[in-house]
Amino acid sequence: MSATVSSDLLWELTRSNSSFLVKRKTGGGVKLSRDPLNLRNVHSRKHSGTVNSKAIGIVPSGKGGISLLTKKSTGSTITQSYKPSKTSRKAYHQIANSTTKKGYRADLREDAIARASALIRSYRKPVKPTKESKPRGSKAKASAASAASADL
Amino acid sequence: MTSVPQIQVFSVEGKSDSELPLPDVFKSPIRSDIVQTVHAGMAKNRRQAYAVSVKAGHQTSAESWGTGRAVARIPRVSGGGTHRAGQAAFGNMCRSGRMFAPTKVWRRWHVKINLNQKRFATASAIAASASQPLVLSRGHRISTTPSIPLVVASSSLPDLAKTRAAVALLKAVGAYGDVVKVTKSKKLRAGKGKLRGRRHRQRRGPLVIYDPATDGKLLSKAFRNIPGVETCPVTALNLLQLAPGGHLGRFVIWSSDAFKALDTIYGTSTSPSSTKKDYSLPSAQVTNADIGRLINSSEIQSVVRAVKGGAKTKRAGGQKKNPLKNKQVLLRLNPYAKGYAAAKLGQAKYKEGKPLRADATFHDVLGTA
Repeated sequence: MSATVSSDLLWELTRSNSSFLVKRKTGGGVKLSRDPLNLRNVHSRKHSGTVNSKAIGIVPSGKGGISLLTKKSTGSTITQSYKPSKTSRKAYHQIANSTTKKGYRADLREDAIARASALIRSYRKPVKPTKESKPRGSKAKASAASAASADL
Repeated sequence: MTSVPQIQVFSVEGKSDSELPLPDVFKSPIRSDIVQTVHAGMAKNRRQAYAVSVKAGHQTSAESWGTGRAVARIPRVSGGGTHRAGQAAFGNMCRSGRMFAPTKVWRRWHVKINLNQKRFATASAIAASASQPLVLSRGHRISTTPSIPLVVASSSLPDLAKTRAAVALLKAVGAYGDVVKVTKSKKLRAGKGKLRGRRHRQRRGPLVIYDPATDGKLLSKAFRNIPGVETCPVTALNLLQLAPGGHLGRFVIWSSDAFKALDTIYGTSTSPSSTKKDYSLPSAQVTNADIGRLINSSEIQSVVRAVKGGAKTKRAGGQKKNPLKNKQVLLRLNPYAKGYAAAKLGQAKYKEGKPLRADATFHDVLGTA
């Protein structure tokens, strides 16, 4: 175990400058975070994964699964992967049972499940295939017609 | 006194083979403000003087035409037969004129930094290099690194002469990911620097710190062709390397001898440094910087007065519920609603049908009136 620095000090050191920090002038100067252990991608004391000794991260794993990241006391990250299942509720239960129900960052439960849910939803295929857009306007119609004749 | 944390020492093959106590420099306070100002000063100390030519913009015999010629009174180039004749000269607003306040070589190029501040900043940067979150947020790739601070056994370092062996060492201790990041980051520099010997820009990789007395200097030759990797003797640590850009948390690979030497070079919390005259390490202002723990400690909580007014809920009068949608609230307001619903009075049709037509006398009276 390395020399421990208090997380309050760490936050003061990283709040204005960090490799994870993304500052944008749009949106009233939003401060976002690229930290994988940050559930809402917001650069804040509560959601920062580097600063807090305990943090939860939810990232996509291969083939439509999700991985749950948590931190060890040494600061290294533990990964648990969940396979894609028919019911997304199982995944939520697993996430809540292995973290927040054991007293591991209970304040992050809602965000963890929301992020898992958003990931699972993103894997779903759309029910209806999206329609091809019809060409509108004389020029677009003409170019579509010429393209079709070129194919023949 | 709490026990001194033990730091694992890794062999060249990447196996943990012994442990070393953490030197006291690593407990020095981390002050990013001091590191930033000292870094800003130190970065200025390698500057070379530059200035525009003293003659620039003044190599013409221009004279003002004075008033009465319906042109501005700025000096104008004399003579004829060339386009330059009659054009304005000298002024900073003129084409081919002198710049405003021409730069001179006599400028304050260098910055004096107090020695104690420089040492404070170095100690601070060393302490920050041992904090995994700070190294991560500086952007180093250390996910495969077994421990921070990373110490490699000095025993086989004097023989480390080949870059291939150095790469193997970096791979064994999980530091090669950071080198990969550096090689991927190499980009053409924007601007004139490309023509001035600074063609590319890239990230900084790990810094290898060795003890020149025991580790020898072969090692720096082995590492020097690996992108982003720098080497530095422990006796001459440089803040520009320990905190590049003034940002704390450089990824440092220590040789075990260099790690051991830190206690003699910087001194410990009880004994002053043996190499720096009259120097002892800075000490932290607070022993516990964990504010949450301080606030929740029994010492603080026992003297804090009770909360005034008690806990307040957001909705003091209870949440407003719509009685048309919430049956319980409806029943509270209208106890008859239950019987009304059970008897299905709301659905019952009006039994009598249409109202009876009034008899003939009514219509007669109505007609005669």
